[in-house]
Amino acid sequence: MKNGSVFKRILGLVKPFAPLLILSLLFAVANVVSNLYIPVLTGRAIDEMVGQGLVDFEGLFAILKLFLAMLLINGVTTWIMTLINNRVAFNVVRDLRVRLFNKIHSVPVSYIDTHGHGDLLSRMIADVDRLSDGLLLGFSQLFVGLLTIVATLVFMFNINVWITLVVVVLTPVSLFAATFISKKTYKHFRKQASLQGGLTSFINETVGAVRVIKTFGAEGAEIEKFSKKNDEFAKANLKALFFSSTTNPVTRFVNGLVYASVAFFGALVAIGGGLSVGTLSCFLSYANQYTKPFNEISGVITEFQNALACAGRIFEFLDAEDMVDTDDPAGNAVAFSGDIEINDLRFSYDKTKKLLYDISFHVKPGSHIAIVGPTGCGKTTFINLLMRFYEPDGGKILYDGIASDSISKSTLRKNIGMVLQDTWLKSVSIADNIAYGRDNVTREEIIEAAKKSHAHGFISRLEKGYDTIVSPDGENLSAGQKQLICIARLMLNVPPILILDEATSSIDTRTEIRINRAFRALMEGRTSFIVAHRLSTIKNSDLILVMKDGNIIEQGTHNQLVEQRGFYYSLLNA
Amino acid sequence: MKKLLKFLSPYKKECVIAPAFKMLEAIFELIIPLIITGIIDRGITGGDRSVIFKSGGMLLALYVIGLTCALTAQFFAAKAAVGFARSLRKSLYEKILSFSHENIDQSGTASLITRMTGDISQVQNGVNMTLRLLLRSPFIVFGAMIMAFTINVRAALIFTVVIPVLFIVVFFITLKTIPMYKKIQGSLDSLTGHIRENLSGVRVVRAFSAGNREKKDFEDENVSMYRLNLVTSRFAAVLNPATLIIVNLAMLILIFNGANLVNDGTLTNGQVYALVNYMSQILVELVKLSNLIITLNRALACAGRIGDTLSVENGLKDEGTVSADDLADTDEILKFEGVSFKYPGSGEEFIQDADFTVKAGEHIGVIGGTGSGKSTIISLMMRFYDVTSGRVLFKGEDINNLTLTSLRKHISVVPQRAQLFSGSLRENLLLANPDATDADMERAVELSVSSDVVKAKGEGLDLEIREGGANLSGGQKQRLTIARALVKNADIYALDDSSSALDYATDAKLRGNLRTLTGKTVIIVSQRIVSVKDCDKIIVMDEGKIAGIGTHEDLMDKCPVYKEICESQNTFDGEGSL
Repeated sequence: MKNGSVFKRILGLVKPFAPLLILSLLFAVANVVSNLYIPVLTGRAIDEMVGQGLVDFEGLFAILKLFLAMLLINGVTTWIMTLINNRVAFNVVRDLRVRLFNKIHSVPVSYIDTHGHGDLLSRMIADVDRLSDGLLLGFSQLFVGLLTIVATLVFMFNINVWITLVVVVLTPVSLFAATFISKKTYKHFRKQASLQGGLTSFINETVGAVRVIKTFGAEGAEIEKFSKKNDEFAKANLKALFFSSTTNPVTRFVNGLVYASVAFFGALVAIGGGLSVGTLSCFLSYANQYTKPFNEISGVITEFQNALACAGRIFEFLDAEDMVDTDDPAGNAVAFSGDIEINDLRFSYDKTKKLLYDISFHVKPGSHIAIVGPTGCGKTTFINLLMRFYEPDGGKILYDGIASDSISKSTLRKNIGMVLQDTWLKSVSIADNIAYGRDNVTREEIIEAAKKSHAHGFISRLEKGYDTIVSPDGENLSAGQKQLICIARLMLNVPPILILDEATSSIDTRTEIRINRAFRALMEGRTSFIVAHRLSTIKNSDLILVMKDGNIIEQGTHNQLVEQRGFYYSLLNA
Repeated sequence: MKKLLKFLSPYKKECVIAPAFKMLEAIFELIIPLIITGIIDRGITGGDRSVIFKSGGMLLALYVIGLTCALTAQFFAAKAAVGFARSLRKSLYEKILSFSHENIDQSGTASLITRMTGDISQVQNGVNMTLRLLLRSPFIVFGAMIMAFTINVRAALIFTVVIPVLFIVVFFITLKTIPMYKKIQGSLDSLTGHIRENLSGVRVVRAFSAGNREKKDFEDENVSMYRLNLVTSRFAAVLNPATLIIVNLAMLILIFNGANLVNDGTLTNGQVYALVNYMSQILVELVKLSNLIITLNRALACAGRIGDTLSVENGLKDEGTVSADDLADTDEILKFEGVSFKYPGSGEEFIQDADFTVKAGEHIGVIGGTGSGKSTIISLMMRFYDVTSGRVLFKGEDINNLTLTSLRKHISVVPQRAQLFSGSLRENLLLANPDATDADMERAVELSVSSDVVKAKGEGLDLEIREGGANLSGGQKQRLTIARALVKNADIYALDDSSSALDYATDAKLRGNLRTLTGKTVIIVSQRIVSVKDCDKIIVMDEGKIAGIGTHEDLMDKCPVYKEICESQNTFDGEGSL
């Protein structure tokens, strides 16, 4: 992304706060004027002190009264400006984080599967912070800086044209130095941000799996890997930090030259009687006032380079293509009957390789479909397609005769309930986990659902019962307990289509029997896909899909498949 | 912050050079008003052009030297700050990896991650700014005061009033804001946690169409952080204008006093100019300093959080002196003697009075219901937690007497949760044993029935695994974690319910392969009778107690719990399974 367009988009982020910023600008004008007026008053005051016994106190008091007013205006406007600018920056951060978070929910699942979670996290936390720091500095110093420069020039031209020209001639040197450095620095900032993303990813992954690392005593090896990444980052970090920090001394040096020139030429003019000492002192203050903003602006520029690099990464994520959805009215809030037809379905993750292809079948409402095959045969892929986590490369899935891509995803998913292979619980109370995704669920309903899934027993034995908070990694519950909660989550409102993905695999068998009975009751009259191992389940199903190496290679009823004497038959006799 | 200072000690040189050069630069800056006074009093008023030329040359020279000093200072400050952050990050990482399971349970992953990332960069920023400015600013402030005194004591008295007043203001605001910044970092923790959760649970969130709810929750957390930020900045924002007003008021008084002194004939107007100039130097510096203090307060809050993590006491004392490598091979490789165990902070006992012996080379099955304490047995023999009472013996030695690393070297565990790391399969396997050859790894892949997975992907050991194993199915992940455990050359292999996602045929093949590990002890924790049926000895767990130990036949006779489990599974599997 070009810097220019990133910059434009940053302006876009700020746009909603234009009224506040205009207000801030008005205060900035008052601030700059009062700030510049103070040296004028100081100069005038010094001019009143001509010598022993010659001080005009009456005139001095008048000047000092004005001085007092100016210093109050100056202080108060600084305060108000800071408050406004902070508010804008915090608002931008808040809005941006919300947009980024919402983006997590609108990108295809494949995006999240293929991008490092730590890197996305780093974009949402660290990069947004950097951007806001840049913006904050921008607002607070750029306005005031630019205004100061313009106002000072006007004041100075009024006092003495020639000395002011000396100042103006030297100005581009400062700007030139600043741009030269910031160009050099941007490259380093970009590199630093990307290395930081990698480092965060590594931290995110390994800190999340400390238990595994300890199990293998691999702490040393991981620390070594970490050290390597850490050192790489530190190197880039040092370069970025040092180069960016040269801006300030260099522009300060140029400013020093300006100051020295004013002193030198000013003194030469004054000695010829062209200037009073008070005017020169005022002029010198102005030279300082005039050059300081360059200094600050150069600081803003470096900070802004950094912010741009981070903004680039933020926009990159925000620009990721959203998943395709539809708001087709026909599909909205409709309850499916459970009729599913699949026509010539084709899909693969790696588009150069064939994976799932030539899949066609039709099931009537209430059918039970067993998915059978060795581990890793592609069951999850098939489920990804049914749930529209991934879009097929070709072919159609029709629910009640409506193509899945013309049904909104939320409608589709409301009609399908599933218990996934990997349990996932939120770090909230068990009750909230069971009520997940639904509003206004009473405690009674939750308990009822838990009873149906046989989770009530262990939950009520927990010290805090239904109010037990699931720890962030879910480590305070056993795998079986987590799965029971997932099942209870489904029990609360059973949709017309079910996907039971090895749901009962880590639950002990005594519980499993009860659950199985509950499942059978659930499945009654509902179209159900069951990733199945048990022969009884398989035999009793209306359709068996036999999967191998990512594809459905055989389909039919038990008897048909046995007659075929194919892969299913060989599995039976293994 | 004190705890973190030791990370700066390798950079003592830099920490001295950077502020020293900053100070040199400051000295030159302080000389400048003197030169200007010279220009005014001797040059202009005295009408001496040569003074003006000489002074102009001196100004130029001072600026060049100043630039050199500043660049030097910036470089060393950056070097020290980056180096400091680097070693701090490393130590914190080491600390986290050294955490006991209890420590991890209590700390929370999200919070540890913010500490490793955001907090450290705040502290780094603080160190960098401190080295650059913290010495310079007080130096300029006090320097300017002293210079003012050399001009005129009476006029300079106002400086001695302003400076303490400013320090009180700064101190008050610091006191008020540090706890607020701590809170902000805390709310950043919860934002991070929320984002992580949504990334890892994206499928469930979508399956339940709960995106909007998640968004709303996030927005609430986000808004509360926004409010915290606003409130905090309201306090912090007072610092700068307060400084401006106080110093400008002092300036006003200075001018008034100056006027009186000029009227008395004690001061020249050039001197008043110099005094005013010193006051405005103080002002400029203090404005910078007040910005620095805002940064610094934030950095201090973060440093406090990092310090807390660094000083967390390890829940597990690694005080053993015996190396498990030196233990003679005994018949009884593992023994539990009257072991009871409570998870720290929980009331009920997860294991009660467990007694059993495992002989070298045996295959042991552990079976029982959900929450019966099966996995805890493995955690205890790895000494992830300490037993509450009783003893665990490895080759006849109490494991508390063994060094942790040596104990864990001899036991290889497949955890219940199949976690792989992004990187190649080879890297994942080497985690368990850095010395493994490709042949060792291929054998482990073969034994764990994963060759077809690896072959299907066609990349061999270079198979690229995505973060969280996103490109593998649950069963594939499980088998590769088994392969990983088998790469380790251990005495005991323990599988913690780690074939749950495998179909029965694959599971059977796996158990057959494990039988070929001659001389190795194998412990299989499972829910399925078939998985443990052929073991030499089966331990039946029931609500934390051992309900029976023996062979399948023994237990069918004597152990009602086992029999019940068995019968329940038979009604299922009577017709067989795939």
